[in-house]
Amino acid sequence: MKILLEKLIINYPYCIAAILFMIGGLTVLTRSNLLKKLLGINIMESSIFLLFVAGGNIRGGAVPVFDKANVESVYINPLPSALMLTGIVVSVSVTAFALALIIRLYKTYGTVDAQRIAQMRNEVEEK
Amino acid sequence: MIASIKANLPVFVVIVPLFIAFILLTFTRRMRLVEGLVIFAEALGLVCAGYLAYTVLKQNGTQIIYQLGGWPAPWGIELKVGSLAALFLLIIFGVCFPVAIFAKGNLTEEVGSNERITRFYVLYLLLGGALAGMAVTNDMFNIYVLVEVATLSCCGLVSARKHPRAAEAAFTYLILATLGSALVMGGIGFIYITTGHLNMGFASQELKQVWQDNPHVVWMAVSFILVGFGVKSALFPLHVWLPDAHSQAPTPASAVLSGIAVKGYLICFLKFMYGVFGPELMQEFAVNRILVFLGLVAIIGGSLSALTQDELKRRLAFSTVAQVGYIYLGFGLMNEKGLAGALFYLTSHAVIKSTLFLAAGAILAATGKKKISELKGIGRKMPITMATFTIASLSLIGVPLFSGFVGKWHLLLGSLEAGNIIPAVIIIFGSVLCAAYLFPVIRIAYFEPAPEEEWKDPGLSQKCSLILLSTVVVILGVVPGPILELARRAAAELLML
Repeated sequence: MKILLEKLIINYPYCIAAILFMIGGLTVLTRSNLLKKLLGINIMESSIFLLFVAGGNIRGGAVPVFDKANVESVYINPLPSALMLTGIVVSVSVTAFALALIIRLYKTYGTVDAQRIAQMRNEVEEK
Repeated sequence: MIASIKANLPVFVVIVPLFIAFILLTFTRRMRLVEGLVIFAEALGLVCAGYLAYTVLKQNGTQIIYQLGGWPAPWGIELKVGSLAALFLLIIFGVCFPVAIFAKGNLTEEVGSNERITRFYVLYLLLGGALAGMAVTNDMFNIYVLVEVATLSCCGLVSARKHPRAAEAAFTYLILATLGSALVMGGIGFIYITTGHLNMGFASQELKQVWQDNPHVVWMAVSFILVGFGVKSALFPLHVWLPDAHSQAPTPASAVLSGIAVKGYLICFLKFMYGVFGPELMQEFAVNRILVFLGLVAIIGGSLSALTQDELKRRLAFSTVAQVGYIYLGFGLMNEKGLAGALFYLTSHAVIKSTLFLAAGAILAATGKKKISELKGIGRKMPITMATFTIASLSLIGVPLFSGFVGKWHLLLGSLEAGNIIPAVIIIFGSVLCAAYLFPVIRIAYFEPAPEEEWKDPGLSQKCSLILLSTVVVILGVVPGPILELARRAAAELLML
């Protein structure tokens, strides 16, 4: 038990990533408000970014810039951070597109609640 | 000049559609030029893909490796054109080209003004380019980015229709697909953390040595990637977004979405499972049995849900769910025949389903009737459209001499070779169910008295594209030779025989 707890505390970035992932996933699947669904997706993606960046980090590691005075020092891995820059750009474009769709739905139905939209749609189709 | 183009062909196949996509926006006012450019881009892609497939077949097993920017593999990004990539490139452009011809001058009703149509074409080309990229790339993070490009363009294509229901379907699709790609990215993260490589070949080698150190992390990676690509490629219990998205999209868009977009994720899944984790690890984690089981559930579940639909496009969308089940079943069989059968089935389904969706769209445009029961006597009013629909349906059911039969036959042989009788029975039962949901359409179309209304076949380019696609369906069934050979070699490459 003590070892498990210690491991959890040492690897806290991963734990936070896992918790964020679950919060995000739960929000996406359980909320019917479209904006909240979008927020959930964003939280989920952030947790993955955290996972990547934590994976590249070394505790006490130096900035990954070559230093002649200190050749032997341990550098952190800059690649995951660079990859996550791409990931953030992708996530921003997804968010922008989803917001555009939400605006279109709001203009048509006057609400951003998925269940009410489905209700109104069914009523229209029954007529 | 020619030599340097040939040497850079793997990257041109991806870049040409992407490049043309972005210059289209400057020609908004000249619709003919836009349409011409789109058809030209797809035709060029088809020629390149054909040449690559020819080279791969002629080279007898050696793969074309292309290093982007001249950086060698573990540091730079690598493109790899083997049999699998060549086959999928042929499928992409072989479907995109006729669909682009169909879309010519036919989008005003569904999409709207010229400006909107141009944007539709931009997304159409982006989807083609992204799928081509997924086929050739050998880098995991590249796959993630291309998957996102494809997802966003798919959602854009769905929401291109003016109807508010299309926006709703697109939003559901976008949320679930992004959930899927977040999972895929997580899976890639776990692989990267365990192996330190993003190149698939190097990651696979490293994974074989180190996976026993952290089996749980590798387990997480496998399950994240299975569920992530499962959501994106509509594996049965995760298919909820598909019927709405595919039936609400404009006709050419639903043809490419059902025909090739879903297949792109399947190919990526195949690359991850066989290319990164490898057959041994798959057996260790029982992924193959999970895939066979889910495939069987998908065949039955998808077909039964298709039976209950009265809307033609929705019935076809549910049929896609069932057919994806066949492909997953083949992926799980882990022998050469089954895998080759799955890849051939993937090819034939891409062509068949786009024909069916285009024919259904043409019928919908001409009559305005969505429901199957309202299409009485349509076979005599629109002979060419309904003839192509019938050919494609027969092929999907798996009647001999059509392409669906060859794929199903190899899947059957594969499952018998794996010593498992249940998949073989379900494959045949699935064909019966498929006949049960497609024959009523044909019966109503040909054997019911037609109403007085004036319904006509669509315009010349639409007819040409339908005839072209149905010819491909028949040719694939009668002379499956080269494609089957490509599929067989791809299967052998994946299994590392």
